[in-house]
Amino acid sequence: MAKMLQELRGSQFTNRYEKRITKSTYFQNRMFRLFCFFSVLILGLSLLSIIIFVGRTGLLVFKDVSFQEFFFSTTWEPYDDKFGAATFILGTLSLTGLTLLLAAPISIGIAIFTSEIAPNWLKRILRPVLDLLVGIPSIVYGYLGLTVLIPFLRNITGATMGDGLLAAAIVLNIMVLPTISRISDDAISSVPSELREASYALGSTRMQTIIKVILPAASPGIFTAVILGMARSIGETMAVVMVIGNTPQLPSDLLTPTSVLTSNIVNQIIDVEFDSTWNYALYMMAFLLLLISNLLIIIIRKLRVKGA
Amino acid sequence: MSIFKRITILTLSLVLALGFSISSIASAATSGKIVVAGSTALLPLTQQAAKEFKKLNPKVSVSVSGSSSIAGPQSVSKGAATIGAVDWDATKEVPGFKAFTDLKAHKIAVIPFATIVHKENPVKDLSTKQLQNIYAGKITNWKEVGGKDAEIVVVNRKHGSGTRVNYQMKALAGEDFMTKGENYKEVGKSGEMVTAVNSNPNAIGYVDFAYVKGNIKAISFNGVEATTDNVIKGKYKIWSYGYLVTKGVPKGADAEFIKYIQSSKFQNGSLTKLKFIPISKMK
Amino acid sequence: MNGNSTNKLYKQIKKISDQMFTIGLWIITSLILVLIFLLLIYILSKGLTKISFSFLVGIPSEIDVGGGVGPFLLNSIYVLLISLLISVPIGIGSGVYLSEYAPNNKLTEFIRSCVESLASVPSIVIGLFGYVLFVDIFNVGLTIIGAGITLSLLNLPVITRVTEEAIQAIHMDLREASYAMGATKAQTILKIVIPAALNGIISGVSLAASRAFGESALILLVGGTGTSGEMWDWSLLSPGGTLPVHLWYVQSEALVEDASEIAEKTAALLVLITLFLSLSIRFPLWVRDFRFQNKSNKR
Repeated sequence: MAKMLQELRGSQFTNRYEKRITKSTYFQNRMFRLFCFFSVLILGLSLLSIIIFVGRTGLLVFKDVSFQEFFFSTTWEPYDDKFGAATFILGTLSLTGLTLLLAAPISIGIAIFTSEIAPNWLKRILRPVLDLLVGIPSIVYGYLGLTVLIPFLRNITGATMGDGLLAAAIVLNIMVLPTISRISDDAISSVPSELREASYALGSTRMQTIIKVILPAASPGIFTAVILGMARSIGETMAVVMVIGNTPQLPSDLLTPTSVLTSNIVNQIIDVEFDSTWNYALYMMAFLLLLISNLLIIIIRKLRVKGA
Repeated sequence: MSIFKRITILTLSLVLALGFSISSIASAATSGKIVVAGSTALLPLTQQAAKEFKKLNPKVSVSVSGSSSIAGPQSVSKGAATIGAVDWDATKEVPGFKAFTDLKAHKIAVIPFATIVHKENPVKDLSTKQLQNIYAGKITNWKEVGGKDAEIVVVNRKHGSGTRVNYQMKALAGEDFMTKGENYKEVGKSGEMVTAVNSNPNAIGYVDFAYVKGNIKAISFNGVEATTDNVIKGKYKIWSYGYLVTKGVPKGADAEFIKYIQSSKFQNGSLTKLKFIPISKMK
Repeated sequence: MNGNSTNKLYKQIKKISDQMFTIGLWIITSLILVLIFLLLIYILSKGLTKISFSFLVGIPSEIDVGGGVGPFLLNSIYVLLISLLISVPIGIGSGVYLSEYAPNNKLTEFIRSCVESLASVPSIVIGLFGYVLFVDIFNVGLTIIGAGITLSLLNLPVITRVTEEAIQAIHMDLREASYAMGATKAQTILKIVIPAALNGIISGVSLAASRAFGESALILLVGGTGTSGEMWDWSLLSPGGTLPVHLWYVQSEALVEDASEIAEKTAALLVLITLFLSLSIRFPLWVRDFRFQNKSNKR
């Protein structure tokens, strides 16, 4: 409060001084507004051009490839004009599902721990630490996956290679854990304490309070956290490229090399011409990624309306 | 509404001005800037050449990277690189790839390729027939070709690799590779191939001679040992010419760079040391 | 009597399950955190001891042992600075516009949802856009400036959103007090609202910065894997490979014999720089919060 007062006092001083130059103040006022308007204009234009450009280029693929083939065929042999992207779409979906299966329960557990159970001193350490972990470059996790996880998987499962969906899911899991836990932690912490007190007053234990009162109250926020984690794992590229095996085939098990949308795009885009069906097919895959992540955001917005 | 019009015109002209200034800087800067992209089979060679070339011409900046052969001509015609390295003559059509008619190819070296396995693997020699069956997925265990009882992990380069094109034509006599399978993996670059075979005692793969070191060994082909001597004598058949391609006739630094690689000093010096073969030796 | 004992039993079960729950959460959290920390310590301990000054400024080598990462490190910082230089003013400006100026209509709502969805669009999609923009349309090839500008597109929505949220959280009273003293809207925003929201804005920028620093897919497409191969090369049109891309390149390329050692050192360096980056941006805020807390406690 003291700080705010100080700031106000400061502006009062400048104000008295600036009254003498009202004209330039007025000009500044308009310039600032103009600057902000231009910023938002640039932002809007560039975002719009990304969507339009990627979408337009991607949809060109349907000139040469049927809708059915692209979405339902698993034969991706672009040099023989076979553009079936089903393998990659299924790969992305199953990878994301697998990741969340592991990551969601664990990170919600961590979130409950940080917000409800940990003593205050631990909270003060845990939150910044989780924040720091969010910032670790994904490529580092990919590197760990390649050098530590895959040899480990090969040892315990006896698989000949070890790269595949399982390795990628574990790497992604470690990557999205801090993100999901931090956001759900915020959601749980913002549940009003009256709810807790009312529940305790009725004689419930902490577990009952958390499971029956706090989690339902915080559920929109927790869903948002899980969906944001999902968006991140769908879009992650290089960490996945390092451990997935990069072979366009439907995997028979979790330890068989396969490929997902992102890894296939980054592996092939350099080798193709700008005006070829192959190129359009890769853009269509990018457009799909864009659509999926937009869909997720729409769900989040719906949740928010519900929560409010 | 007039405000909106003015704003649109302003932004458009801003974008245009930015675009023009960037492209004008770009065209001014190209004279002293060489960007090499493409084949990883030729990468050891282009890297070494770039290093030596920079010492002679300190003002020229040379950047070399590699992904796969097709990226060479592709990047040059797209304009992402000034020189493309490729393991076949990209101005002519080869199976699976169209001819790049807007490019000019310069022959720079002979690239010998070797079939590789892990050092612990007792197999020493494989015939054309055996290789065809292994790469088609018909032979799946090392004991079928005289090794120990272990499943074969087949490592292949992805489509677009020049090494793959040449290996398919010369080692497999044109037979097709399998495209999927339990113990089958495609890698992007020569280096990834080396890593894959290096770390897996049951893997088989192929690279050019320059990469054969560490835990991997080259095995004989139809009873002929994989050495540069045997290539020159015409006994060992898995080899090809390596090319650099440029957009039209090369100018300035690009021309100098290609001339340097073709000079007898480089051909008989570093090029031979890296286990490539000078073009003059092949008759 | 009987009812009393079942009640007791019930209470005991309740108590035990509550304790189990607490212990379970303690175990999960500590296990995961210990695991992640062991991994980070593994990276740091493997790489840090071997990092020397010559590695930090050395020229990367593809054939000889003992190459450095100098140009990659330089590019990383250079590209990050360019992207922040573009995205911070525009991002904050847009955030201010959306929260303070924008009329409450459909267009604003549309821009807002655009910003929100693009904040989570996969970086590779933006990378593809930059790739075509700079390689095909502007025809400059893979460059530092291209990587920087494209990266700023990735940052923009994040910074805009965080700014908007931080500003909206500021109480209306503050603004009204400022207007009452005769300040213009611009003055109010610049001198009252933004300083009050600075905490949120800075942590948003730091989040964007560390994400941008660690970005690899986008840089791979727009900046390429190479550098100019020289140290202290400030040309904006040199190839724009950065440290994360180099880690991937070295790990999958393995042409030099000490490639795995270079990868170890590069990974350690990346972790170290990210930690340093987020710590140094947040440290002043922590100090401020701490002081603030102490003051309010005393009162």
